[in-house]
Amino acid sequence: MNVASRLPDSSAAALADRQKDAVKPPFLGFGLGLRHQHYDEILAGNPPIDWFEVISENYMLPGGQPLRVLDQIRERYPVVMHGVSLSIASTAPPNFDYLQALKDLARRVEPKWVSDHLCWTGVHGKNLHDLLPIPYTEEALDHVVSRVQLVQDFLGRAIVLENVSTYVQFNNSEMTEWEFLAELSRRSGCWLLFDVNNVYVSAFNHGYDPHTFLNGIPRDRVVQFHMAGHSHMGTHIIDTHDHPVCEDVWDLYVAALKRFGRVSTMIERDDNIPPLAELLVEVKRTREIAEKVLAPGQHAG
Amino acid sequence: MSDFARQQSDFQRGILSGDDTVLAEILDSPKEKRETLYGVYRYAYGSRLVEAMRHDHELLHAYLGDEMFDEMGHAYVKARPSEHPNLRWFSRALPEFLKSTAPYCDHPVLSDLAALEKALNDAFDGKDGPVLTLTDMAGFAPEAWAELRFKPHPTAARLDVSTNTSAIWMALKNDETPPDPLALEQPSRLLVWRQDTTPVFRELAAEEAMMWDEAANDIPFGVLCAMLATYDDPDGAAARGAGYLHGWVTAGLLTGASTGG
Repeated sequence: MNVASRLPDSSAAALADRQKDAVKPPFLGFGLGLRHQHYDEILAGNPPIDWFEVISENYMLPGGQPLRVLDQIRERYPVVMHGVSLSIASTAPPNFDYLQALKDLARRVEPKWVSDHLCWTGVHGKNLHDLLPIPYTEEALDHVVSRVQLVQDFLGRAIVLENVSTYVQFNNSEMTEWEFLAELSRRSGCWLLFDVNNVYVSAFNHGYDPHTFLNGIPRDRVVQFHMAGHSHMGTHIIDTHDHPVCEDVWDLYVAALKRFGRVSTMIERDDNIPPLAELLVEVKRTREIAEKVLAPGQHAG
Repeated sequence: MSDFARQQSDFQRGILSGDDTVLAEILDSPKEKRETLYGVYRYAYGSRLVEAMRHDHELLHAYLGDEMFDEMGHAYVKARPSEHPNLRWFSRALPEFLKSTAPYCDHPVLSDLAALEKALNDAFDGKDGPVLTLTDMAGFAPEAWAELRFKPHPTAARLDVSTNTSAIWMALKNDETPPDPLALEQPSRLLVWRQDTTPVFRELAAEEAMMWDEAANDIPFGVLCAMLATYDDPDGAAARGAGYLHGWVTAGLLTGASTGG
């Protein structure tokens, strides 16, 4: 289904205006993904974290402790909402109940921005709860651009989309992933979440240089970095988010800072959750590296 | 159907049913065959959903052990594919699945235990609501009590189980060996709710369960006491009713009371 015709104005001039009018999200500093294992420690200790990213779906609930904690967190820290079920690239009709719930949560949380992934999670009424890959074709690009515009109009804000780790490539792709992301951002006005680990994982899995990916992303469209760990299987890497960030990904982070400059950065751990102190060491490292790379005279972004 | 839509359809079917059609459109990587790479998605699908079930049903998992739980979990994943964008709701049909599917239906304790865990999960993140206090109750004149009607807290839910589920739940919760499952002659009447942020439950006697159910049906206090009188000593019915009510209020089970009809 092509929904572009339902949108107010998709002319080239209007698209240019979309980008011009959208205020770039602010730099938040160095943050962490909020996980329930750390609720008590965070609320009791106000640890030195600049901001938190929360998984939207974990709080798209009727009530209870998760929302109560989130209310307390957002009183103390800037919060960003990160979803996993937007399914922006699905060819199935959008789930407007989901979008309304997302909008309702955003109204309550007042996040600095709302992000999700460039992927799909299911069709035909099913949800596979995975970040599934797409072919990088003109057809897919047109479709995703129109979906992003629809979602942005529905939510009343520009969204932020993240590159996912992929394990397969389709033989009908007509462009690279970075070309797709760059064009998507340019045409739809969405911002980009550059997941440094995902670039590393996908580059290894598909046999290209992660720096080529990095250098293909427009400097002015990236508003967030994700840093995470993965599981190396020898012939391929799986994006498990259950390990500390590896040295190769730290190196790529340096390159990302040099290209994109000062970007809100966070540590993302989804499984095998360690004590907060362990993650704070990684958050501190994101800050220290950025300060070093972006010191006066070093700024390249 | 567009190429893109057809490709997504094939990709999903390959994950859900093992069909290999989509492999013809996937490339080998420099180091690995496409079957293995696509297999990452196939494996992740089942394992992620079963992991979510382990999270939602920690005690059922402890009761069955890893192997049996995962076997049951994969059967559920196959029978009830997720249709909701939020993983939180994936396991919600598990009690019904266990009740209606062999061999699990031959062991009613499994669906009972799953139903209790589901009710507790639902109470955990159920809707917020005000909590009626004893001070609120003191505001009603004695002569108004007969007409008082009560509104249960939004998280309060009743559950009847046919087995000694509470004893098994309690033992598992305390990391103790659970008792053997027993089929009860009369159902065990459970009331589940959230106290502050903690989901809790307790067993109700038959007359208290009746009074709760009827109170939730908007029956006024005076009639509830008359109904209690049919269960036990009629002269003590009002006192028993007041006692149950006191317990509900102090436990945070009610969200409001009014004399309106």
